[in-house]
Amino acid sequence: MMRRTAFMLALMLGATAADAQLPFLRKRSAQPQQPVLQGIDALRADFAAQAGSTTVYFGAGNTFLGAPAKAALGLQAAWLRKHPEVVVRIEGYGDGLDTRDHALAVGARRAEEARAYLVLMGVPPAQLSTTSWGRERPGLGRAVTILVR
Amino acid sequence: MKRHFLPLLLLGLCGAANAQQPAATVIAVPPLTSPDSGNKGNEMLAVGWDVTQAIEADLRQTAEVMPLKPNRDDYYSYPEVTAPTFSKWRSKGAKALVTGFVQSRSDGRLTVGCYVYDLDKGRELARKGFIVGAGDWRRAAHKCSGLAYTAITGAPGMFDTRIAYVAENGSGEARTRRIAIMDSDGQNHRYLTPGDAMVLTPRFSPEASQLAYVSFAGGRPAVRVVDLASGQERPMIASDSISFAPRFSPDGSRIAFSMMLGANSDIYTVDAGGAAPRRLTTAPGVDTDPSFSPDGTKIVFESDRGGSQQLYVMNADGTGQRRISFGGGWYATPQWSPDGQWIAFTRRGQDGRRIGIVKADGTGEQTITSGPGDEGPSWAASSREILFQRSGSDGRTGLFRVALDGSEPRQMTIPQDGSDPDWSGVAE
Repeated sequence: MMRRTAFMLALMLGATAADAQLPFLRKRSAQPQQPVLQGIDALRADFAAQAGSTTVYFGAGNTFLGAPAKAALGLQAAWLRKHPEVVVRIEGYGDGLDTRDHALAVGARRAEEARAYLVLMGVPPAQLSTTSWGRERPGLGRAVTILVR
Repeated sequence: MKRHFLPLLLLGLCGAANAQQPAATVIAVPPLTSPDSGNKGNEMLAVGWDVTQAIEADLRQTAEVMPLKPNRDDYYSYPEVTAPTFSKWRSKGAKALVTGFVQSRSDGRLTVGCYVYDLDKGRELARKGFIVGAGDWRRAAHKCSGLAYTAITGAPGMFDTRIAYVAENGSGEARTRRIAIMDSDGQNHRYLTPGDAMVLTPRFSPEASQLAYVSFAGGRPAVRVVDLASGQERPMIASDSISFAPRFSPDGSRIAFSMMLGANSDIYTVDAGGAAPRRLTTAPGVDTDPSFSPDGTKIVFESDRGGSQQLYVMNADGTGQRRISFGGGWYATPQWSPDGQWIAFTRRGQDGRRIGIVKADGTGEQTITSGPGDEGPSWAASSREILFQRSGSDGRTGLFRVALDGSEPRQMTIPQDGSDPDWSGVAE
């Protein structure tokens, strides 16, 4: 409980720091005008910016969330709690040296570990779904949180 | 003294035979003839020549039988089919002979008669007639090849069989995959899925009338079952869980597969119609790649419950689970041979992946390919050959077949890259 409170505090501090930078970022001096993002693209950009990373990484052969992965998921959870209308899919990836079906299971397991941690951090389960790409797509050994709506 | 002479001579002969192994049985394939006359006769002789060449091509794929090149001048008259000149073919080095006839029927179909002889003993080994549609002469040829192969080796022929695999085009994110099926000689190649969704691991039902495979079409991987004659398709089970690694039971009544429940992958079986899924394993960790024994009473699968991927055998109801692989490294993708003697697997070590075989009690382990990118063995109906996927260092994948006798794997010719092969049993 203590740890979680401290963690949440850190999250809020982090969020405050990011907010404080926004006016500076919006200065007109930024030469090429950024295209105005709308709808889900804008939400995705905001999620990526606020959460720091949409991706968490795993050591080869394991499905345990390390401290950096938990920190990244904590920031994701903070954003998701503020956007209860958003639904995300967590896509897990296996390892390239594994056989196909084992890699599929490992990817699913990594996605599930990330999902469970987001739930632990207070995200309603209804906002979260998981899938696995096994070793079938580039970018192995990770779990990526993707906004679907 | 005299009594020792014969055994010594035999020993010497055996030694010579071993030195040039694998010793394939040479078989003569004189052209099939026809009892028909006139134009019909010429037409049937032409079909007979096609059948003859298909038989030669079939037998040439095997490690155990080596066909002599057929010659159109070696036609027999129809009566001679049942009385070939044994001495002529013996003198060409042949030990066996396969020939026959093609006869037109009043209903437009063909009767293909097939005869197999032992040339040394000068006697018939097998004969069989097959009635096929006029356009189906190739199937009759495969049946005839199977008759010869079985007469010589004692093992079921695998010529009238299908191969399913995943056809792969492009690279990286743009790589597309389609389920493809073809006859085992590469004929009648076609695609079952359009390539808009990722697909994996096609697996035939025993009679090759249905195919189970994994599709990502619904967003998450799930097993689908397609009826090959009608093209009708359905999800294997009514569930939105991740399911994968399907395998039919030998009688076709059940499918074993893996399903995720939370972070846990376990083995289940379900009626082939999709009813009554039953959970067979409960260990935390990844249990996957189940494969039935040919009598349907046991299932071999892989599990990392002990810390690394290993092979386990259990009864088909989930009881009696025990580990059978102890050779070091990781063991995966087991498949039970059709004759029940062996379990083929992928073994992963520090220096890559190789195909091996082991008996169901864990003894007799052998490595049969050199790797380093081999995986996913699938048995031929003969239980004497294995089809597998080989990946090169350039990321390209191909289908290879290898005999258990230690000969070099041979690459199959397919229109593009291919992975996840499955070799069907013999259809009736």
